[in-house]
Amino acid sequence: MSGAIVETQGLTFYYGKHRGIIDVDLSIDEGEVFGFLGPNGAGKTTTQRVLMDVIRPTKGRASIFGLDCQKEGVTIRKRIGYLPGELSLYPNMTGRNFLHMIGSLQEKKVKPSYRQELYQRLDIDPSRRMKEYSHGNKQKIGVVAAFMGKPDLLVLDEPTGGLDPLIQQVVMELVREARDDGRTVFFSSHVLPEVQAVCDRVGIIREGRLVKTERVEILTRRQFKRLHLSFRQLPPADAFAMEGVSETGREDLTVVLEVREGIQQVLEAAMPYGIEDIETPPVTLEEIFLAFYGRENQGGNRA
Amino acid sequence: MLNLFWHELRSRFGAILGWGIGLALFGAMNIGVWPEVGEQMQSMADLSIMLMLGMDLGSFAGFIASAVIGYIPLILGIYAIIASTGTLAGEEDDGTLELIVAAPLSRWQVVTVKAIALAIAAFLIIVIAGLGNALTLEAIRGLIEVDVTSAEFFVVTLSAWPITVAFMMMGLFLGAFLPSRRTAALTMTVIFIVSYFGLLLVRFAETLQPFEVLSLFNYFDFTATAFTEGPQAQDVGILLGVALVFFVLALLSFRRRNVTVGAWPWQRARLSG
Repeated sequence: MSGAIVETQGLTFYYGKHRGIIDVDLSIDEGEVFGFLGPNGAGKTTTQRVLMDVIRPTKGRASIFGLDCQKEGVTIRKRIGYLPGELSLYPNMTGRNFLHMIGSLQEKKVKPSYRQELYQRLDIDPSRRMKEYSHGNKQKIGVVAAFMGKPDLLVLDEPTGGLDPLIQQVVMELVREARDDGRTVFFSSHVLPEVQAVCDRVGIIREGRLVKTERVEILTRRQFKRLHLSFRQLPPADAFAMEGVSETGREDLTVVLEVREGIQQVLEAAMPYGIEDIETPPVTLEEIFLAFYGRENQGGNRA
Repeated sequence: MLNLFWHELRSRFGAILGWGIGLALFGAMNIGVWPEVGEQMQSMADLSIMLMLGMDLGSFAGFIASAVIGYIPLILGIYAIIASTGTLAGEEDDGTLELIVAAPLSRWQVVTVKAIALAIAAFLIIVIAGLGNALTLEAIRGLIEVDVTSAEFFVVTLSAWPITVAFMMMGLFLGAFLPSRRTAALTMTVIFIVSYFGLLLVRFAETLQPFEVLSLFNYFDFTATAFTEGPQAQDVGILLGVALVFFVLALLSFRRRNVTVGAWPWQRARLSG
């Protein structure tokens, strides 16, 4: 990693009176895959559109490669592969002609052999007209358009939307290959397992505000641990009623706990009942994410 | 950029052929009936309503100026409204504009490429119509005595291009300025109708005549003088000037546009640079 490729400061966009994004401060380092997570309407697409200069911020600044996204957008976009979330393509144009047109605008010349490889890996016939493609096939054309020039930065808005699971895996491989090449990927999604699978860091956006940015593994590790505790004697229902601990299930002599803090207290409270076994199954980002939003919804706005 | 231009032109290929051939057939129908209805038309030449509308049916040149040339910008105006508001505003509504704006092109390049493609499409349509008119005239030349050459007919047909381009650039501007294609097309249609029928009304009422300068049709000659004196350079200059002004306004409006949002101009953010 060597310095920020994408930076925003106080980035704000309003759709008239309606909130788009508010004071988003974001920094994406060179060579990393940054996942942008949030439910629909959170502001993921708006942030990416501001970066691509499709829309202009109400307030704040955005820069890519150290250049201002508005003032030097043309120079910046020569080095970016962009896949919008709502991909619409010219219905009478063939996939090949469209890709040829997009490729001719990029700084790095597209290698025909790599484009051909993408056709094969994504299983797409580019000779057909857009109106003849299914939604998934249009998305594949969009994926080829974004990746074919091997751009320095990929801005992908829900790139696997509408794709079948096998092709989703291919897209994930392409993202990993881009990272292995030292290129940067800004990847928005609400499909958490795929973010967890390919991203180095993740930013969680909620109601237009970036509420958390963290390395995926740290976020996974820090948020909570799930403990499956098996006992010789079942503890009473209030045995683990303590700050930072929730009991989420109990079956036979096993109690399932989500522990956010005070693991030592939990173990001390468990000892009198004779611990037979302790399991700590991995917690998915999806579970962390849902727990995070669950707390926010119950406990008010912490951002 | 050249690829985008070719795409723009290719995407209009069907329209160019369709409207061009349609206009050529329209011309052919009107020219073709002259040998049969010429005498009847000449008997209507002195009707005051015809004279007030500037229509001279007493000669072949007057007849084709009124019945063919006069209708070209009117018919092509429909295409101008469809095509110009479909560009930028229509593409934004369809969602196709986002990838173009996100490409390494500046906003002015996007607008310029599309404006040039529109202007060329209109020119090609009129060329096809002009060739059709000239060929039809040649075909009936043996049947009647006419004082118009095919080359003159072709050139006078081409004189419909500046007014068509002026309307196209107006539509392009409205598409970039107003929040949606629907509002742009509606506004454009109102302007177009008022411009044409308003001019006809103004010519009936002497007190309203100062307002005739506001109609673009005022600068398009669809009388026999178009053949005798040719298109007036001043009128062509005014129409192309109007086209240029609206093109510049389209550039300025699109520069501030939040593509995909469709907001009114006063809701758009200020540019930082």
